[in-house]
Amino acid sequence: MVRRFYAFCRNVFRKNRVDHELEEEIRSYLELVAAEKVRCGVTREEALREARRDLGSLERVKENVRDIRTGIYMDRLIQDVRYAIRTLIKNPAFSVVAILTLALGIGANTAMFTVVNAVLLKPLPYFQPDRLLTVWERRLTDGTLGTVAPANFFDWREQSRSFDKMAALDPYPDFILNGNGEAKRLSGAAVSSDFFPLLGVRMALGRSFLEKEDLPGENQVVILSYSTWLREFGGRTGILGKQVTLNNAGYTVVGVLPRDFSLVRNASDFQSRNRFDVWTPIGLGSAPASWLRGTHPLSVFGRLKPGLSFERAQADLDRIARNLQRLYPVYDKEAGITAIPLRQHVVANVRLALFTLLAAVGLVLLIACANIANLLLTRAAARQHEMSLRVALGASRKRLAQQLLTESIVLAIFGGLLGLFLVVMGVPALAHHLPKDLPRASEIAVDGRVLAFTTLLSALTGILFGLVPLFQSRQASANAPLKEGGRGIAAGQSRLRSALIVGQVAVALVLLTGAGLTMKSFWTLLQVSPGFRTGHILTGRLSLPPQYLNGYKFGTGEHRRISAFERELLERARHIPGVQSAAFTAYLPLSGTDNSWAFNIEGRSPKPAGVYDVANYRPVSADYFQTIGVPILRGRGFIDADNEDSPLVVIVNQTMARAFWQHGNPIGQRVRIGGEPKQRGWRTIVGIAGDVRHENLAVRPQPQLYLPYAQAPNVEARPTIVLRTSIDPTSLTSALRKAVSGVDPNVPLDQVETMKQIVSASVGQSRFRTAVLLIFALLALFVASIGLYGVMSYLVSQRTREFGIRMAVGATSGSILRLVLGQAAKLISIGICLGLVGAVLLARFIASLLYGITPFDADTLISVSALLAGVALLASYIPARRAAKADPMDSLRYE
Amino acid sequence: MATSQADLLQGTLDLLILKSLALEQLHGMGISRRIAQITNGTFEVKAGSLFPALHRLEEAGWLRSSWGESETNRRAKFYRLTKPGRNQLHIEAERWERISLAMASALRAT
Repeated sequence: MVRRFYAFCRNVFRKNRVDHELEEEIRSYLELVAAEKVRCGVTREEALREARRDLGSLERVKENVRDIRTGIYMDRLIQDVRYAIRTLIKNPAFSVVAILTLALGIGANTAMFTVVNAVLLKPLPYFQPDRLLTVWERRLTDGTLGTVAPANFFDWREQSRSFDKMAALDPYPDFILNGNGEAKRLSGAAVSSDFFPLLGVRMALGRSFLEKEDLPGENQVVILSYSTWLREFGGRTGILGKQVTLNNAGYTVVGVLPRDFSLVRNASDFQSRNRFDVWTPIGLGSAPASWLRGTHPLSVFGRLKPGLSFERAQADLDRIARNLQRLYPVYDKEAGITAIPLRQHVVANVRLALFTLLAAVGLVLLIACANIANLLLTRAAARQHEMSLRVALGASRKRLAQQLLTESIVLAIFGGLLGLFLVVMGVPALAHHLPKDLPRASEIAVDGRVLAFTTLLSALTGILFGLVPLFQSRQASANAPLKEGGRGIAAGQSRLRSALIVGQVAVALVLLTGAGLTMKSFWTLLQVSPGFRTGHILTGRLSLPPQYLNGYKFGTGEHRRISAFERELLERARHIPGVQSAAFTAYLPLSGTDNSWAFNIEGRSPKPAGVYDVANYRPVSADYFQTIGVPILRGRGFIDADNEDSPLVVIVNQTMARAFWQHGNPIGQRVRIGGEPKQRGWRTIVGIAGDVRHENLAVRPQPQLYLPYAQAPNVEARPTIVLRTSIDPTSLTSALRKAVSGVDPNVPLDQVETMKQIVSASVGQSRFRTAVLLIFALLALFVASIGLYGVMSYLVSQRTREFGIRMAVGATSGSILRLVLGQAAKLISIGICLGLVGAVLLARFIASLLYGITPFDADTLISVSALLAGVALLASYIPARRAAKADPMDSLRYE
Repeated sequence: MATSQADLLQGTLDLLILKSLALEQLHGMGISRRIAQITNGTFEVKAGSLFPALHRLEEAGWLRSSWGESETNRRAKFYRLTKPGRNQLHIEAERWERISLAMASALRAT
């Protein structure tokens, strides 16, 4: 084996030397034979001549020896590649066109693959990621999944038998970092001590949390993210063991996360949070039982025991769910438990879209392949003589095929290299244009997998379009092309070309349909009224430090401190020139933040245990409705007098009014929000507001319950201020900042955005896939038109003589034009029919990506067919006109 | 064509080359002459099949070659058996003996 390898290396890399030695060896053999003959009395000259004659052809002997050498295939390959490159250089126009086409096709595929690779294919950046699961509460009534109540997490962790570890994450704590100057908001997460060991994360510095730090009193410790460590603490290793002040309390820094750590997330996880600056222990021990079972803030992760199947784990969880349903009927009667592999969960809502885009770009490449196959066919016709000659000289068909394929693959590899270069240059720009909520977007890079993909794709592409002319040359006999004319081959070629064109048109139509459908769907989505004003609105998010929240008790509505701050801020904001009105809301629509509460209606019979009516919960300040432009349809809006001391009031939206008071008037009725003390809890409905699309534009409004900020049962530490402006809202950003710091410099303001920006970001995924599909479809249309143009030109040139005769016997140029266009129209219409069948078959796969239209939207199908037919006819019109304009005498003389 | 004959004789040729080198190292022509000698002139190996066979056996690791001086003081490439080559010679020889015995008894049968 080793010797073979050695021989291989020597034969391939030291070819000249090996050849030289062989030559010398044979010469010395000749000399020896001659010397023998000389001894027998022949003259030296005569002896040498005889020896040569005995030997036969020196070259033949050498060739025979070469044939047995290890690595002869490699040798031939190098020969073929050299020859291919020479041929490509000799036909620069063909090579440039083909390589550019391929670079575009393969480059686009590679770019799409880098995204798919990073988001869908790469293993998650954790230890043994395939064993990681997310675990959710499932509402048995409708199957919806939700985050987890702390007490449930404790029970699961204790009772489950199939997990190595189970850990919880509370993604909501916010910290205000005091110290160096301006107060800064840090986004925090609280985790149970098993969290980092579960993921297999090793700290860059220090340690992970200890088990005892899960307990209250021990939990004043913090782990910093790498970027926070660099940004806020200068990357000093001395920070370990030191105290930092968060929310006016001292926390000891025990660790720093590694630079490359990030918590992969589904777009809908953790609401709008996509990074965590500081991590603290969760410390849930002291909360009241009703809170532990009644609120559901936690994301739960589990690591499967080795060798255990996912199904076993789910069965284990089902068993626990049945236990808990029995033990806690009030909370868990309708609660199941569902495990989802982490990877599957993370990509759940982008998987289909990304694979669709990858398939689309693959189709573009297919069309490009057809074009190059067409070019090769033309060239093959021109090279018939060369090929016949080589066959006549003894080259085997297999050897010729090998060489032609090598040419195609070399072409494709050059195209692939150029495409890869484009991608490497373009990846930063690409990452910039991706939707912000695409999971794992930060991991997008050209890595080994991408290189392997590009190589494989290039080779496959080369084989694919390289096989077409081979298929064609198989029909031709060896000597036919040596005869003049070769009409029969031309006819065979025409059929093959026509088939390629039909295929291109069909594939292009499939792509155009896909793009048309997503465009129409996106357009429909943008036409949806969100239920509020989007123009001339500026928003910003505040983080209230603990001094505002101290003394607050659940359900008491103790907001005086906050109210005072907010009143003063609104007052200042209203006086900013260009501001028409200002208001607060706890949960801004389309911002990714939300909250829902169970509620009861006064006088209705109580629901069975574990069954609730749920409404979105919206504390807002008095001017909110007029500021953001949500209409009050009946009754009144909130006024400043709806405060801590006045009777409790609420406003419901239209959906809630219709759902719960089908026949009556809700105004004057009273509702109570779940968990509030009965004596104080009843709130009177004073108005009905218009519906708002809160979650995203595609989701129908849920029942929504508005209440005055000052009367909210819960503290809202991160309200959003909303300004309605008469001028460009972005010009007021600094004025808003100044107003906030003017009231209290310790209150950080961030996420300052216009409502337009928020709406635009909320449809980012949809816009991205629409734009990308549109680009691919136009590319397909363009490439297919070029192909059609090329083929029609070729077909016309083949029939020059025929057209000349026709015109000589009286055909008008108009009739020639009609003849050629008719031929094109036939191909195009067959292509479109096939394409329509394909489009209808494929469109149902993307049905779930569409909003407001079915995949069989007749308008779309008709308009893309018309567009394609128009462009394709235009592309064939140019060669048709050339044929019609030709001088009949010229064309007759031509042959 | 010569190829089919060469194919038929390939195993034989390899064995003859190995055998011819069993005693001492030889150059190409020496091997050819030795084979003629030990087969009483039945096999005359031409350069066209000798050299490919030599190179194949060398790449298989059964022979090793080196440049040296011939008996007539000419530069020539000498081949000698390697240890695996000697083993191969035994294996091939045994196989061949079995075959030729079998063939002989088959042909003697009436």
